[in-house]
Amino acid sequence: MVEVFPVILRFAVCVLFSPFILGVIGKTKAFFAGKQGPPLLQLYYDISKLIQKGSVYSRTTTWIFRAAPLVSWAAVLIASLLIPLGGLKAPLQFAGDVILFAYLLALARFFTILAAMDTGSSFEGMGASREAAFSCLSEAALFLNFATLVVLSKSISLSRMITECSWDSWVRLGPSFILIIVSYFIILLVENARIPIDDPATHLELTMIHEVMVLDHSGPDFAFILYAGAIKLFVLGGVLVTFLIPFQSRNVVLNTVILCAAMTGLALAIGVVESAMARLRLNRVPSFIIGSFVLALFGLIIALSRA
Amino acid sequence: MTFFLSSLGILAVSGFLILFLGRYRELCARIFTTALIAVSGLVFLSALPFFGTANRADFRIPCPPPFNELSLGLDPLSAFFLLTIACVSLASGVFGCGYLNGQNTKKNPNVHYSFYLFLMVSLFVVVTAKNVFLFLTAWELMTFFAYFLLTFYDEKKSVREAGGLYLIATHCGTFCLMVMFILMGYAAGSMDFDRMALTHYSPLMTGVFFALGLIGFGVKAGFFPLHIWLPYAHPAAPSHISGLFSGIMIKTGIYGLLRIIFILKDIPEWCGPAMLGIGAVSGVLGVLYALGQHEIKRLLAYHSIENIGIIVLGIGMGLLGSAYHQKSIALAGYGGALLHVLNHAIFKCLLFLSAGSVIRSTGTGEIDEMGGLLKYLPFTGHFFLIGSLAICGLPLLNGFVSEWLVYRSFFEGILHLNKWGITLAVTSLVSLALIGGLAAACFAKAFSVIFLGHNRSPRQEAYKENPWMMTCPMAFLAALCVWIGLFPKTLVGFSLTNAQFITALELAPGETGAILQPILSANKVLFLFLVVLGFLTLYRNFLLRRHPRGLSETWSCGYSWPSPRMQYSAASFADPILRLFKSVVHFEVHPARAGHYFPVRLDLFSKVVDVPDRFIFRPIYVILRKFSKWMLKFQSGHIPQYLFYIFIALVALLLWKFPWRA
Repeated sequence: MVEVFPVILRFAVCVLFSPFILGVIGKTKAFFAGKQGPPLLQLYYDISKLIQKGSVYSRTTTWIFRAAPLVSWAAVLIASLLIPLGGLKAPLQFAGDVILFAYLLALARFFTILAAMDTGSSFEGMGASREAAFSCLSEAALFLNFATLVVLSKSISLSRMITECSWDSWVRLGPSFILIIVSYFIILLVENARIPIDDPATHLELTMIHEVMVLDHSGPDFAFILYAGAIKLFVLGGVLVTFLIPFQSRNVVLNTVILCAAMTGLALAIGVVESAMARLRLNRVPSFIIGSFVLALFGLIIALSRA
Repeated sequence: MTFFLSSLGILAVSGFLILFLGRYRELCARIFTTALIAVSGLVFLSALPFFGTANRADFRIPCPPPFNELSLGLDPLSAFFLLTIACVSLASGVFGCGYLNGQNTKKNPNVHYSFYLFLMVSLFVVVTAKNVFLFLTAWELMTFFAYFLLTFYDEKKSVREAGGLYLIATHCGTFCLMVMFILMGYAAGSMDFDRMALTHYSPLMTGVFFALGLIGFGVKAGFFPLHIWLPYAHPAAPSHISGLFSGIMIKTGIYGLLRIIFILKDIPEWCGPAMLGIGAVSGVLGVLYALGQHEIKRLLAYHSIENIGIIVLGIGMGLLGSAYHQKSIALAGYGGALLHVLNHAIFKCLLFLSAGSVIRSTGTGEIDEMGGLLKYLPFTGHFFLIGSLAICGLPLLNGFVSEWLVYRSFFEGILHLNKWGITLAVTSLVSLALIGGLAAACFAKAFSVIFLGHNRSPRQEAYKENPWMMTCPMAFLAALCVWIGLFPKTLVGFSLTNAQFITALELAPGETGAILQPILSANKVLFLFLVVLGFLTLYRNFLLRRHPRGLSETWSCGYSWPSPRMQYSAASFADPILRLFKSVVHFEVHPARAGHYFPVRLDLFSKVVDVPDRFIFRPIYVILRKFSKWMLKFQSGHIPQYLFYIFIALVALLLWKFPWRA
């Protein structure tokens, strides 16, 4: 049966800590731009402010528009239960949980796309169509990454797939590891709509993807969207971080602290990437995702030839 | 067995009854629906004993040649397909009653009803026949009755053409089947399936049988590139018949393949990879072609090809697992394929019925002329949404369960196979992931363009929801989708029993559980998701309780007169993806040149061309036609010419038999 404590701990860590990550990214970018930047806790302020406001709905919209933010929030939070975060074991593990993980994210995305189309605005339609196109590719790349991990770890449960890769196998399978880490990092950027795929800072460029889909949401609904984005980054980043830090202690508190530190490190890395790169031209984005796919493929080939 | 036989009896009797009582429309419709309900109940009862165990029941009557014996038999495989047929034909039959009743008063639908019942008889016999002659007879009858159902609107030329194409295509398939069965019967010395199953065939022969079966059943099932009849037949038929075709008719091809696999037992090793290849190609290209379609039923027709692809991927993994003696792969593969047969039947029929309901209300099938229908057709819209979520394999609905099993077989393959096997499994895994993503894109497109946003048509008056005769069957199918999605234990168990039956595996006690258990755990997670979602909704309502509900127009970035025409259309939604896959699908865009000084009306036209249809089968057709035209010289219909032929033949015979030597 599912134990209650790990589930609650997991929810607490995700809900409380995830907005901080975005604050760190913002601060890093501001540092590179030579600005002071918004405070680290900016997203917390935003969310608490939005929650107190009312929402305005378009007359065109249906309940789907209202449900989408809640569905995405709940889906990414539940997806967080399936992955190990640093030393914190996944509260739920079973064979093939990786499929559920990917499909929960797909569920969130499907509803976001529907909500965007629900407004009847051509801007949001544009974003929805692009999101649908790019996510097909990134989903295939994600599954290829998982396949490589299955080959490396000899397990089909996410927890073991991620934590089984020990340091001594790094010597033998290092190249494969590095390739899938890079590949996964690209998927992480794509899925979370970061630079160089998408610019979360602007709304109204015709080249935007994710941000343009949520133009019409307001008040608590928009708060849930922002929050869901933060949790999604936390969850997908958590997979990467757990893969990279092999160190675990027996102390839950210590583990949590290590996790938070590592996530902050990841946020710094994302911030550096965002500061150092410009956004890609829209028609280059597919090549970028396919690049990640190819990297994962090479990772798989190396894993197969050496395993 | 008695239940099953009595259901056959009821179908046949009520079919004839309706034929004779043609004048009394009300009465016939009532007989029709009653018969359907009774038969589904009986079929359910007759399938019940096969849920847990692999027992079987036979029924044989001696008969004059060529049948020798009329043998019907129920085993888990037959029971599974019977159940599928019963579910779908009940729903689409009742829907059809509502659909035809109000529609056109000139045409009497009673003949249609009676053909429908006869089609059900032949379908039932196809999946239970234990004898080649009986099987092929039922198979042909099924094709014929289906043809008459399909050409209900025979006053339209396109419908007649689609029907003709269907007949030709399936008969080409049947030709292969006949050759296969005759060869098999010759090798086994009997035309009885049971005795065929006991015979051991040489590997070469097995390969030949399998290849013939692949073509023969593949035409029916719509494997790429043999699918060409599907996109024509579905839009031509009335919606409930499209649902029946997509839900069941094409599945009889899958049934045939599984039966062949069951009979042949030792399938050569190349068949697994071949099936995986067919599955991946059908799946990916099916969904890509679907993305390019903007006529709702054509779109759904291409999605059938995609889903057949997923089923074939599962069967391919099953074959691979059997070839490598990996039980978990074979179980998950066959189990997933079978469950997807049932699931696809349910949600695709649901989608076709709701598409029919939409077409009935709007009078068109072009999705770019729709929009915002969720407000007018709330029932239809929500049922279509459930169907869409299910067909994308998203969690909470039945599509997820079967796709999960297929995915599981790939992952098991990556775990347990050698490098060659891993390569195959990974390729299939990636293609299924791609199929999933593309299907989600396609149904996001279809649902949102039809039901969300503003209405795009110039029509002023509101649309009307359809009568309960049409919504109830949809509700029934939607409920099945949700039920299997949330409580999959029974049916997953049933399909795993079936997988075991097909492969004749000896299983250790825990092995089915190892496949079944994770699905149940996943469902626990999904229930948790629902709980979180519920609380979240309450919380949101709590947050908004003090604020007045703000209503306004969609924000269009400062522009004050947005019109429905400005919305993203289906074509524009699909455009980025189709451009991405330009190298795989033949995507044509015909833009208009904008070289005018003053605003003028410009049209842009884009379409996806079905490559096998246009570049393989049409050229063949053209050549055949030329050949026939040339042959006409010899078949001109002039009597003197034929007399001349007879004269030549006589002279030739004379010369041949003339006693020269004497």
